[in-house]
Amino acid sequence: MPLKNGHTQPHTSASSWRWALLGLALLIAFLLPWPLSPLWIRIATEVIMWAGLAQSWNIIGGYTGYLSFGHGAFFGVGAYMTGIVMLHLGWPFALGILISGIAAALMAVIIGYPTLRLRGAYFAIATWAFGEMIRQIATILEITGGAFGMQLPAYLNLPFFYYLFLLVTGLTYLTTYLLLERSPFGYKLLAIREHEEAAEMVGVDTVIIKIKAFALSAFFPGVLGGIYAYWVTYIHPDSVLGAQLTDFMVVMAFLGGIGSLWGPFLGAVVVQLVNRVLWLVWGEGTFYLVIIGAAICAVVLFIPSGIIGLLQSRIFLPGTAWKEIRKKVKW
Amino acid sequence: MLIDGLLIGGLIIVVGIGFSLCFGVMHIVDFAVGEWVMLGAYTGFILVRYFGHDPMIYLPLVFLIFCALGWAIYPLIYRAVSGKRHNPVLMGLVFTFGLSILAKGGALSVWGYHIQSITTWLSGKSLALGPLTIPALRFSGFLFGILITLLLMLFLYKTRLGITIRATAQDREMANLLGTDVRKVGALVYSLYAGVTGMSGILIGALFSIHAAMGVKYCTLAFFVVVLAGMGYVPGVIIAGLILGLLQSFVGVYIGGRYNLVALFMVMYGVLLITPKGILRRGI
Amino acid sequence: MLLQSHDLTKSFGGLVAVNQLSLKVEKGTILGIIGPNGSGKTTFFNLITGMLPSDSGKVIFNGQEITKLRPHRIARLGVGRTFQIPAPFSKMTVLENVMVSAFLHTSSMKTAKKKAEEVLKKVDLDEKADFQVLNVTLEDRKRLELARALAIEPILLLLDEVMSGLTPVEVKSAINLIKQMHRQGLTIIVVEHVMDVILSLCDRVAVLDYRRKIAEDTPQKIVNHPEVIRAYLGERYRARG
Ligand SMILES: Nc1ncnc2c1ncn2[C@@H]1O[C@H](COP(=O)(O)OP(=O)(O)OP(=O)(O)O)[C@@H](O)[C@H]1O
Ligand SMILES: [Mg+2]
Repeated sequence: MPLKNGHTQPHTSASSWRWALLGLALLIAFLLPWPLSPLWIRIATEVIMWAGLAQSWNIIGGYTGYLSFGHGAFFGVGAYMTGIVMLHLGWPFALGILISGIAAALMAVIIGYPTLRLRGAYFAIATWAFGEMIRQIATILEITGGAFGMQLPAYLNLPFFYYLFLLVTGLTYLTTYLLLERSPFGYKLLAIREHEEAAEMVGVDTVIIKIKAFALSAFFPGVLGGIYAYWVTYIHPDSVLGAQLTDFMVVMAFLGGIGSLWGPFLGAVVVQLVNRVLWLVWGEGTFYLVIIGAAICAVVLFIPSGIIGLLQSRIFLPGTAWKEIRKKVKW
Repeated sequence: MLIDGLLIGGLIIVVGIGFSLCFGVMHIVDFAVGEWVMLGAYTGFILVRYFGHDPMIYLPLVFLIFCALGWAIYPLIYRAVSGKRHNPVLMGLVFTFGLSILAKGGALSVWGYHIQSITTWLSGKSLALGPLTIPALRFSGFLFGILITLLLMLFLYKTRLGITIRATAQDREMANLLGTDVRKVGALVYSLYAGVTGMSGILIGALFSIHAAMGVKYCTLAFFVVVLAGMGYVPGVIIAGLILGLLQSFVGVYIGGRYNLVALFMVMYGVLLITPKGILRRGI
Repeated sequence: MLLQSHDLTKSFGGLVAVNQLSLKVEKGTILGIIGPNGSGKTTFFNLITGMLPSDSGKVIFNGQEITKLRPHRIARLGVGRTFQIPAPFSKMTVLENVMVSAFLHTSSMKTAKKKAEEVLKKVDLDEKADFQVLNVTLEDRKRLELARALAIEPILLLLDEVMSGLTPVEVKSAINLIKQMHRQGLTIIVVEHVMDVILSLCDRVAVLDYRRKIAEDTPQKIVNHPEVIRAYLGERYRARG
């Protein structure tokens, strides 16, 4: 079992290395649109959006241990909200995505109160049923355009969306870092995940804390959904409320490593890139589902702590790898 | 319409019983339940295509094939949810979820998006029952559902093994303390469940249509009956199956078919919030 | 009176686990509760701390009725408890476990950390502060239970068999620890099977049998109480002596 990096790690040179690495990554992210073709800007934008979504799911699923299988609903509600605000009310986009985020968070508070009393599989099924219910409602309602969906005004500016997604996803990670990795709130969430009764016994108001976490994990998908709607300009129930949304959030967070800051990011990059590369090579196909399905099963069976767990076990550091080999192969 | 709903309910009950036992014994929610149905339907389809004859005669064969498949996969599932894992519930959910993506993706890659159908000698015939005419196929699907349900119930209530299984489903820890080999019981339950579900797949395929993405619908229906029944409580599944039929017919007639799924999910969600142990409060 | 229970009752299905239990605990004293397995001791703790809702009866703590309060509210009023089977936050370090408790009184990471370190020192666990809980022994987990309960700065401490499974030497140091906490003004309820522990610690002892209290008195009188000897001590205590 690799030791999970604690919250109390000292500021050593290792941590300043990390900051340098982070700075470099941010710089690359900033400059990325320049060398890329429009197609690749699109793909990079998608990756960044998914990184934000996977992290949002991670807040409730990974840190709090409540497996939301209906998280796509928040993304969809966000997308439709921005659509409605812009189309029917004629308000600006910026206001739209703000309203989207708030609406999603509000919805999370309202359904979270009764739903978060359920544990384990019960919570998973309940959120799943809720998510599907929202999708069905969107196909029926008139204001959402029913099964045909909604056409938003077009704004063709790839870099704009790239940077906007980058900003919001960046905020998702910053929030996770500050609120979950470096504050009492995060400790309380972990305590709830590890042993909810024991957490109550030491004075943690589990009801409120869980609702806060759920709302936080719904807010960002709401905003990202709003941006997505404006980016693709045409939304319909299958594209913004489809089961694949939740599926991918879970899969990415899980492959990368749940309950960790960078796991969902790694998961999103790997899954979405593989997805797109296969798509570029073979065209519209379904084979990536096979690969992703097999990958999930393999991760559950062999590296349940995800890619990040694998990295933390330091098997990739040359020195460690050498030692491991020496240990295994005796001559 | 009303009768229609009930007739389909019969088949879902069969799937639901296996699903419920799985949850009770292994504490896993099998997201791949719909994919078992889909694979069963395709297996029937292929058998008919290459060997001819009526699909009905392949029911036992498909049962055996899927029992074997379930038996083969079980060790993996057991590994995924075994006690050494930190969060077995999550692992179980995600693992079966991975299986379902794998199966769906595989089916889509092999058979594409085409919609297939199986015809049996009963297709197109119908039965006159007093003032009602009932499509013969649906009726036989219903009969099949009842028959298998009866057999399962007999097995679960009248044989020692069956009673052990039920006891394990109701209280796994206790069964473990009393010396039941929970792992073996799990293997048995999983293969039995895969067998009956695959077998139902043929009939479902004959009744409706076969396509690679059909699983999600039956996954929904199975979740519905099991949630209403109380997860892990077998007799409740029968009542829940009937309620499912009634609900679908009722919504279809009085509110409109397109509200069917909304109603389904609303009821399911509502039941989980109000009485998570099912309408009879007997789940685990 | 710091804690009073009036006719507290709880049943699970048909099984009555706690039957009309009335107990009083004076401020600054140590009450021992003994009773055979399944006599409802842990359930009594669960009722006081609000982990389980009671069927009927009342709990009054520090002059305030707490029967229907949610568990975290009761903890905030100053009731700390340990679990019979240690229930640590497994994927956190020992220190982080205790910090969660410390956050009850502060929202500063630094203060919480200092507080947690202090408490860990008290229970002699400071050397393992940075260990993952998964990697510490049962004895250390029991200490951790204690540390977590202490870090909420309780007025009343409920100890559920903290000594079971410990070696005699460890028991001795645990007794000293409890005595020391008592001297600092803590009121304590101790559930224990080991009679010697009860005798050396408690001011009063309550005996539960078949889910009800059959006696409550000073330790000296309890060991001579005819009904207690017949029902409980008979087999255990005599067999030892
Ligand atoms: N959550 C529960 N659900 C059902 N029954 C329970 C529950 N908790 C306790 N019981 C039952 O209530 C009775 C009292 O249990 P309790 O744990 O309070 O006993 P105890 O005195 O602490 O025993 P021990 O000395 O073994 O710790 C037992 O028969 C137990 O099986
Ligand atoms: Mg006990």
